[in-house]
This record gives sequence, C-alpha cells and structure tokens, in this order.
Amino acid sequence: MKKLFTPFEKLSTTQLAIINGSWVALLFLFWYIVGKVSETHLFPTLGQVWDGFIGLYNEGLVVHVFNSVWLCLRAIFISIFISLFIAYLSPIPLLQFLSKTVSKLRYLPLTGITFYLAMMINSGRTMQIWVLVIFMSTYLTTSLIGMIKDIPQEEFDHARTLKCNRWEVLLEVVILGRVDYVLEIIRQNLAIVWMMLVTVESILVASGGLGFLIKNSDKFMNHGRIVALQLVILACGLLIDFALVKTRTILFRYSKI
Amino acid sequence: MQYTFHNTVLYVENLSVAYDGRTVIKNINFEEKNVVREGRTTGQTIAIVGRSGRGKSTLFKALTGLITPTTGSVLIADTTRGDLNAAKAVREGDVGFVDQKYTLFRNKTIYQTFEFALRHKNMSKAEKKELIKTYLDSWGLEQFKDQYPCELSGGQRQRTAIIEQIFSSGHYMVLDEPFSGLDVGNIESVKKSFNMITSQHDLNTVIFSTHDIELAVELADSIYVIGYPTLNGKKEDYGTIVKHVDLKKMGLAWSQFDTQHLQLVKEIKEAMLQS
Repeated sequence: MKKLFTPFEKLSTTQLAIINGSWVALLFLFWYIVGKVSETHLFPTLGQVWDGFIGLYNEGLVVHVFNSVWLCLRAIFISIFISLFIAYLSPIPLLQFLSKTVSKLRYLPLTGITFYLAMMINSGRTMQIWVLVIFMSTYLTTSLIGMIKDIPQEEFDHARTLKCNRWEVLLEVVILGRVDYVLEIIRQNLAIVWMMLVTVESILVASGGLGFLIKNSDKFMNHGRIVALQLVILACGLLIDFALVKTRTILFRYSKI
Repeated sequence: MQYTFHNTVLYVENLSVAYDGRTVIKNINFEEKNVVREGRTTGQTIAIVGRSGRGKSTLFKALTGLITPTTGSVLIADTTRGDLNAAKAVREGDVGFVDQKYTLFRNKTIYQTFEFALRHKNMSKAEKKELIKTYLDSWGLEQFKDQYPCELSGGQRQRTAIIEQIFSSGHYMVLDEPFSGLDVGNIESVKKSFNMITSQHDLNTVIFSTHDIELAVELADSIYVIGYPTLNGKKEDYGTIVKHVDLKKMGLAWSQFDTQHLQLVKEIKEAMLQS
C-alpha cells in the first residue's frame, strides 16, 4: 500500500490497470452523486447524457463523425504537405526567413483571416478546410523546424563522412531519417485541429459534423447532448491518436521516440 | 624490428582552427610516413592524446575535412594517380570518421548501412554483396544484419560504424575516443579491429584519441600529445602538439607491453599535465 504513495515507485501492469479503473469508477460515482443531490442540474446526469447520445445516434451521429474526421484528414494532409515543404527548405540560408515567418504566423488571430478566405473561396467546405490548414500549418511548421534543429551535429557529420553531398545529407538525415518524427508531430498537433473543429464547423452548418451538432445543442441548452458530443469528440481524438502511435511503431521499427 | 619509411601518408602543415575569433588549435605540424615491414602488411596506428578541451576533436574534424582550417592544410596520399608520392588536400569523405557515439543512420539496418556506404564503389552488385558478407562474418555481425542501430549493443554499433567507414573512405580512419565507456570485452574487440584494419593494407592508417595512455602506448606506433603550449613562460590558451613520441624509433612499436612502455606512459602523462 505504501508503494502507491511513493514517488517513482514501479508498479505492475495489473496494479496500474486497477488504479486507472478505480479512478474512472470514482469519476462516474461522483457524477452520479452530483446528479442526485444537485438541485440546479447545471451539469447533466448520466441518464441525460445517455439519452442525449441515443438521440444523436438516431439523428445520424455516425455520419457527422465521419464528416468531421474526413474534414480533419483532408486538412492534415494539405497542411503537412505545405509544412514539410517549408520546413525541409529551412536549412537553405536564403529560405530560412520564409520558414521562420510561417512559424511566427501562429500568433495571428483567425478572425481576420476567415473574412479574406470567404472573399476568395466559394465553397463553405473548402473554406473550413483552408481555415484549418492555415491554422495547423503554422504549428506544424514550428514543430518540424524544431525537429530539424534538434538533430545532433554528429548525424550530419556522419553523413558527410560517407561522401553525401549537402542535398543527400538533407535527404538521408532530415527527410528519410526523421519520417517517424513527422508522424509524431502530426499526432501532437492533431489535438489543436480537433479543438478547432467546433469553431470551423460552425462557419457552415449545412456541411454538418460534430462541431455543428455541438453548436446546435448549445443553442437549445441541451446539456445532455453537449456532454455526449464532447465525449464522442474526445473518444474520436483518442482513437486517431492511438492509430497514429500504432502506425508509427508498426511502420518504423527503429522508432523509439 | 626491421622497418623502412616510404612515402608520406599524412602531412599536416601549420594547421589552425578558430571559431568565432577564438583560436582552438594553432601551429599544428606533423608528418607520418608509410611504414613498411618486411614480410608483413603493417599500416600506421597514430594516437592523439591530451587533456580535455585541448582541441583533439577539432583536430579530428580538420583531419577528416569536416571543417575548413583557418590556416594551413592537411594532405593525404592520393592513391588514385598511381604515383606513390602524389598527395591531395583532404576533403570530407576521404577520411573515415567514427565519433564517440558511434553515430549511424537510425533508419537503416546494418546491411542497408553497408550497402549505402558502398554506393559509390565501382563494383558489381554481386561483388558488393560478397564483400558485405565477408565483413559480416569476420566481424561477427552476420546474425544482426537486419537489425537497426537502436537494437544493437555498444560493441556491435562500433563495429558497424568502423566497417561502414572502411567501405566508404579510402585508407584513413579517425576514431574519436573509441575506448570510452567500453567494457573489457569490447576494448579487446576494438583492439582486434585496429589490427584487422592495419593488417589489410600498408597505407591503412588509424588515428585515434584516448584518455587511456597505457592503451595508446600499447596500440600506437606514433603518439602525439596535444596541449596548451608555454611560450616565454606564459601558458597559451590554444591547443598544439607539445610532444611527439615515435615508438618505432624507440623500438617499442609492435612489441609486448613491458617496463619501457610503462616508463613512456609516465613521460606522456607528465607532458599532458604540464600542458
């Protein structure tokens, strides 16, 4: 028992599973009790959330989840393509300014950008994607530049001793040598896109998606549905996160990040 | 021990390196000749010793062409021209370099690493395959050929790094503290690998640094002590060669370690402490 409270103490997998399970059970117990004793019912009860979930499912929750995930995937694909291009060119002195500027643009507020995007793009869905792309590219570029900067000098020297010219050094050490890091960076930045989902999907309600559903439920103060949706969004995010970790470890056996 | 000096294999003249205006090494001059022993192939084994921060790693980077010297030059034998006395300025890739961490491509298996190191060699695919197989067998790496660097032990990584550099570069190999952090077994393995390199070709030259002076005296036939020189009673703050010991001339090279070697260890340590 003393072990449970000792810092840096190693526990078995079973013991850890029991502890984690107990925490989740405690959370649900607390939720149940609060729902029973609270008179204001500001936070929905377990029953209300369950009802909200069933209602959402009957109204096509799966389709909305698919819409949101598809939107995210398209945005990630485009932004990683842009960010990789900018980051991989960052070792070139002439282009360093470009990559640094894109990285700094992450401090730019989104509100002004959406106005100009609306002027340029006709399709609402395309606009949602590009808002996410612009937002995510700045963060991805920052992380990718950081990844390149963290590569030890020894790795560059090693490639040079093997008669690699500077472009081969870029290819072998940075591009091929750090492919697994790119997946990890996508995983870390995915949370930002997922967080942005509600904002972006509320731009165009006709396209549906989890963001639209949560906005709609919020308008009618349906707290049971809101919490149910938040749990669905959390579960989807965790699932994608898990899938990315698994993909990395399966595809890149050497990856020990 | 009968031996003769032939052509120059390494010529370092007035070498200085400065970073951001601070001189790290200065006025480094030395020359190493091809040593030929009758009846056996003997390459050169050169040790660079000195206290920490005296510029050993900077000297190595200059010797391997990884940095451009502020002044001076490093010349190595140009074996491509057929003339024994032909020399050329060192460029990156001419001299193999194994750093203290035995850096390898993290995303390549041992086999892929060797294939990559041989990519510029004018050999057929079958010849390359055969060569890789020979080295994998003789260096005890056959069963690990499909493993990545993160799956190898320190000794296996080091052997891989050495073979990779043998495949890629010519006759020269620089090793920065190859014995640091190794256990007794791995030290023996590295000593064996030195012997394997130098016994393959007369021009093969191994240059290494170490803090273990006994090992330097045991393995090297030429030892350079790098340290801060004292000029006009004032100790300077840049590294240079403060002592050179030619074990061949002293009759101590290629022989059993004895009391004479121990005496030399004491002398070298004294020179290091004073610089």
